[in-house]
Amino acid sequence: MSHRLAPRLAVTVLLALAGAANAAASFDEQVVALSVTFQTWNEGRPWTKNNPARRLASAVVVEGPLLLTRAQIVSNATLIHVERRGDARPWSARVAHVDREIDLALLEVEDPTFFEGLEPVRLASSVPTEGSVTSVRWNERQLEVGNSRVSKIEVATNRYGNVEHHYLLVRTDLEGGGWAEPAFRKRKLIGLTASQENLSARLLPVEIIAAYLERVRAPGGYRGFPYLEVVWQNNQDRALTGFLGLPGEPRGVLIRATRRGGSTCGALRPRDILIELDGHAIDAIGNITHPRYGQVHFTQIAVEGKLPGDRVSARVWRDGREIDLEIVLRTYPSEARLIPWRRDGAAPAYFVAGGLIFRALDGPFLRTWGSNWAESAPSELVTRYHLQAHAQAPERRRLMIVSSVLPDRYNLGYHGVARRIVESVNGQAVNSVEDIAAAFAAPEGEFHVVRLAPNSEFRELVLDATEFETASKRILEAYDVPAPMRGSQTPLPDLGPACDS
Amino acid sequence: MAEAHNRRRFAPHATCALVAAIVGSAWLAPGSAAATHPTERAIVRIQNHAQRGDWYAPWSASAPRQSVGSGFVVEGGLVMTNAHVVSDTRMLLIHVNGDPRPHEARVRWVGHDCDLALIEPLEPDLLDGVTPLRFGGMPKLGSSVETYGYPSGGQRISSTRGIVSRIEMNLFSHSGLDYHLTVQTDAAINPGNSGGPVLQGGRVVGVAFQAATALENVGFFIPTEVVRHFLEDVEDGHHAGYPALGVTTSNLENPAARRRAGLAADESGVRVDFVFPDGASEGLLQPGDVILELDGHDIANDGTIREGDIRLHFGVLLDRHQVGDVAHTRVLRAGEHLDVRVRMTTYPPLARYANTFDTLPRYYVYAGLVFVPFDREIMKTNGKNWMSKADKHLLYEFFHRFMDEPESMQREPVLLLRRLDHPANANMAWHRNLIVDKVNGQTIDRLEDVIEAIETNQQTHHEFEFEYFGRFGVLERDAAERGHAEVLERYAVPEDRRL
Repeated sequence: MSHRLAPRLAVTVLLALAGAANAAASFDEQVVALSVTFQTWNEGRPWTKNNPARRLASAVVVEGPLLLTRAQIVSNATLIHVERRGDARPWSARVAHVDREIDLALLEVEDPTFFEGLEPVRLASSVPTEGSVTSVRWNERQLEVGNSRVSKIEVATNRYGNVEHHYLLVRTDLEGGGWAEPAFRKRKLIGLTASQENLSARLLPVEIIAAYLERVRAPGGYRGFPYLEVVWQNNQDRALTGFLGLPGEPRGVLIRATRRGGSTCGALRPRDILIELDGHAIDAIGNITHPRYGQVHFTQIAVEGKLPGDRVSARVWRDGREIDLEIVLRTYPSEARLIPWRRDGAAPAYFVAGGLIFRALDGPFLRTWGSNWAESAPSELVTRYHLQAHAQAPERRRLMIVSSVLPDRYNLGYHGVARRIVESVNGQAVNSVEDIAAAFAAPEGEFHVVRLAPNSEFRELVLDATEFETASKRILEAYDVPAPMRGSQTPLPDLGPACDS
Repeated sequence: MAEAHNRRRFAPHATCALVAAIVGSAWLAPGSAAATHPTERAIVRIQNHAQRGDWYAPWSASAPRQSVGSGFVVEGGLVMTNAHVVSDTRMLLIHVNGDPRPHEARVRWVGHDCDLALIEPLEPDLLDGVTPLRFGGMPKLGSSVETYGYPSGGQRISSTRGIVSRIEMNLFSHSGLDYHLTVQTDAAINPGNSGGPVLQGGRVVGVAFQAATALENVGFFIPTEVVRHFLEDVEDGHHAGYPALGVTTSNLENPAARRRAGLAADESGVRVDFVFPDGASEGLLQPGDVILELDGHDIANDGTIREGDIRLHFGVLLDRHQVGDVAHTRVLRAGEHLDVRVRMTTYPPLARYANTFDTLPRYYVYAGLVFVPFDREIMKTNGKNWMSKADKHLLYEFFHRFMDEPESMQREPVLLLRRLDHPANANMAWHRNLIVDKVNGQTIDRLEDVIEAIETNQQTHHEFEFEYFGRFGVLERDAAERGHAEVLERYAVPEDRRL
C-alpha cells in the first residue's frame, strides 16, 4: 500500500504546506467522527465470518489531506463512514495505510470535497510531562471537549503490537474514551487515546505519530518501526552481579533470551549484562535517563528516532569483561512468532481434508475463548502459547492444529477430536495449510496418517486414502463449506540465522 | 493422562463431591425402623478429627477439622468405611447404633486409590454382639437398593431406597486420579452417607461414596468387586493398591485405522499409543500394537468388553488383578499375532498426580528458599481452580511435559515454592513457583539432590537454574549460611527439612 501511496503524498504534502500558514483552526475543523462496520472471521469455521458490528471512534485531519486514527479502530473493517461538523451526511472512507505494530492508520475519503472547510492538525514537538491536555471527540454530533491531567510517561507495548515505546498516561474527565480521541495542548496534537479504563487513559504520543507520518511519506517507502526484541530481567541482586563478576554497584539489565528474527539475536547472549545502549547508561531496573521524559525503560531507545536497519552501540558485561558491540535494529512482526498473536485482519488460512479442519494456532483462534482465554482455552494450547509463542525456526514456522472435525462416516471415531496439535501428515512435517495439502497428496500407501502431538487421546488419525476425494467432497457439500482450502495470505518474514550461531 | 486401564488418569474437572459431611446443616433424617434391627445394628457413625499438612507452609499443619461419615461392621471385628471418612485422622470415634457412648477407633487399612478403609475399635470386644453384614454381588440394572447411613451428621440412622441406574468406570474423586467400577443410583447419597452400606436382599452390594454435583439425585457406590479387591489386597498384611499395565491406548473405531493396523474384518481392539518408561509393559508392548484380547475377553474397537448384559471399559479386567499378577494380552504387531504376558506393577511416578493423605509434605528450606516436590498438592495451593489458574509453565510441567519428554516421568520435579524474605535472599529476581533444573550445576531429580548440591558446594555462590524462560538466581554462600538459622527462627520454622 505504501508503494502506491508515497508518490502521491509527496505531491499533496507540498500543496498542503502552501496552505499551512493558516491561523490555529478550531477543534471542529480538525476532528472527525468515524463509524466503522467491522466483521471478524469465524475462527472455528474459518470459511465464514461472524456477525458484523460497529465501532464509533475519532480521527484527525492530517496533511494530504488524509485522516489519521488508530489501526485497531479500522481492523476488520467492511465499511468506514466519516462525519464532519455540521453535516449529517456520512462520507465513505478507506484505509490508505496501516501499521498495526504501532497501531496507526491513515484513511482516504473517496470524495475529496469532504475536506473543504477542514484543517489539518498541527503536531506538537513532544508530549508534555506535566499539566493538562484537552481531549476532544464528537458525541451525537456535538463536539465534546474534556480536560485531561498528565500523570506520567510510561514505556509499554500496545495490546496488539510488539513495539515498546512511551505512552502518556492521563486522568481524563471524558467518559468512555479509548477510541482514538485526540488530545491537544495549545491547539497542537499531543496524542490519540490508545486505551482507557474508567478515567485513566493512555495516549499514543505525538512523537510516534510524527515519525509515522514522516515514514509514510518517505520517498523510499514505508519501513516501519524497529523493536529491541529481547527477554531481560532486573539486575538489582548484588549476589548475582557478584556471581557474574560485575564490579561496583548493580547496574544494567540481565539478558535471559534473544529471539530468532529479533534485533538482539546473535548480538546479545543469555547472561550478558547490558550496561549501555546507544550511549545511554541502563540502571539495574532497566531505566535510562531520558532528556525529556526522565526515567523510562531502555527499550525506548530502539524506537525513538530509529529506523529498521539502524545500528546502535551496546556495551555489555560478558564472561567477566566489558565488551562493545553493535545491534542492527529490525522489526519483529507478529508473523515472526511460532504462534502469531495477530493476523492483521487477514482471513484465516485453513484446509478441510476428509472433514478434519486444519489451521495454524494463532491469537485470534485462542481469543475465541474470550478475554479470559488464558484460563478457559484448553491448557494444551495455552501452555504452548505461553512457552513457545516466539519459538519460530525455519523448520518449525507454525503450530498446525486440527481445530475440529466435521462428522461423517468417513471420519468415524474421530468426531470428538478438536484443538489438537499436529506433528506430521503422512510423515511430513507441516508448517502451513499448503504443507498439509501437499502432504495429503502423498498418502502412506492406502492411508492418510495424521500424527498428533502426544496427549492422552489419539496419537494418530488414520483415513482411507482411496476414498479421500469423494468423502471430502461429500463433507464439504454437507456442511456447506464453499472451498476446501484458503491459503496463507501473509508471507513469512526472513528469520535470519539462529541466535547462537 | 493414561487411559482408564492404568486406572489412573487426570480428571480435569472432577464432578463428584465426596459425601462425608464437614458441618451438619439441617437435614431430615427419618429414623426408619427400630434400632434393634440387625442390619441397622451393624451400621456405625464415624466421627473423624483430622489434620492435614499445609503444603504452602509445609513445616506447619492446618487447623484440625471434624467430619462425620458412616460405616458398617464386617467380619473380624472391623468396620468398613470410605478412605475419605478416616483420612488424616488424629482422633477417630465410632458410635455404635443404640449405644450413646462414643468409642475410640483406629485405622487398620486404608486404600486411598479405591476410597475404602477398615477401622477397628480400640476396645477389642466392642462389636462382639453385632452381627457383621455379609457381602453380595453386583446388583442388576433397574433393581432397587437401600442405602444406610448418617447423612449430614445426624445422630440417628437414615435409610433411603433407589434404583440401580448405571454401572460404569468412574473417577474416584478422593484420589482425583483413579478410575474403578462404580454403580450409580438415585437413592439419596448425601454428606454423611459416605462409607455406609448399600444393601439388596439383606446383603451389602456396595459402599456409598460420592455424589455427582452436576446432576440431581445421582449418587455412586463402590460395588463389591472393588471392595473384595481391597480386602484381598490387604490379606497379606500389606496394601499394594492397583496394578497398572503402563500404556495408553486409543480406540480403533475408524475402519481405515483398523485396516492400517492389520486387523481382519472380524477382529477388533485398541491401539497402544504410549508405553510408560519403566512401566509394566516396557519392552513388552510397543506403540502401534493392537491389543485384541485381554484375559480371554475380546476388546471392541471402542475399548469395551462384554460383561453379561452390559459393556464395560476393558480396564475393569485389569482392576480384577492384584499387583504382581500377570495380564494375558493377545496383540497384533506388524501383521503377527502374539501372546504377551505382562506382569503388572504399580507405577509410582503417578502418585504425584493424586491427592495426598496421611502423610505430611516433604520440604527443604535453605536460607529462606522453600523447596518442595512438585505434585498435585502443590498445584492445589493455587486455589480451587488451579487447573486453569496456576502458572502456565506449572500446568505444562504437570499435565503435558511427560508426554513430550517421557523420560522426565522418572524424576521427582522439585519446585522453588516461595521465599521467606531475608537480606540473604531478598534481591533474587525469581523466587516463586519455579521448577528447579540445576543447583550448582547439578541436575535435580529429587528433593534430596537440592540438599546435596547445596551442602557440598564450596564455591562463593549457590547457583539456581530454573526450567523454562532461562531464569536463574544465586545466593552468596556465606550470607546464606549465616542467614539460614535466622530465617528459620524469624518465620517460626521448627526444622529446615522433612524428607
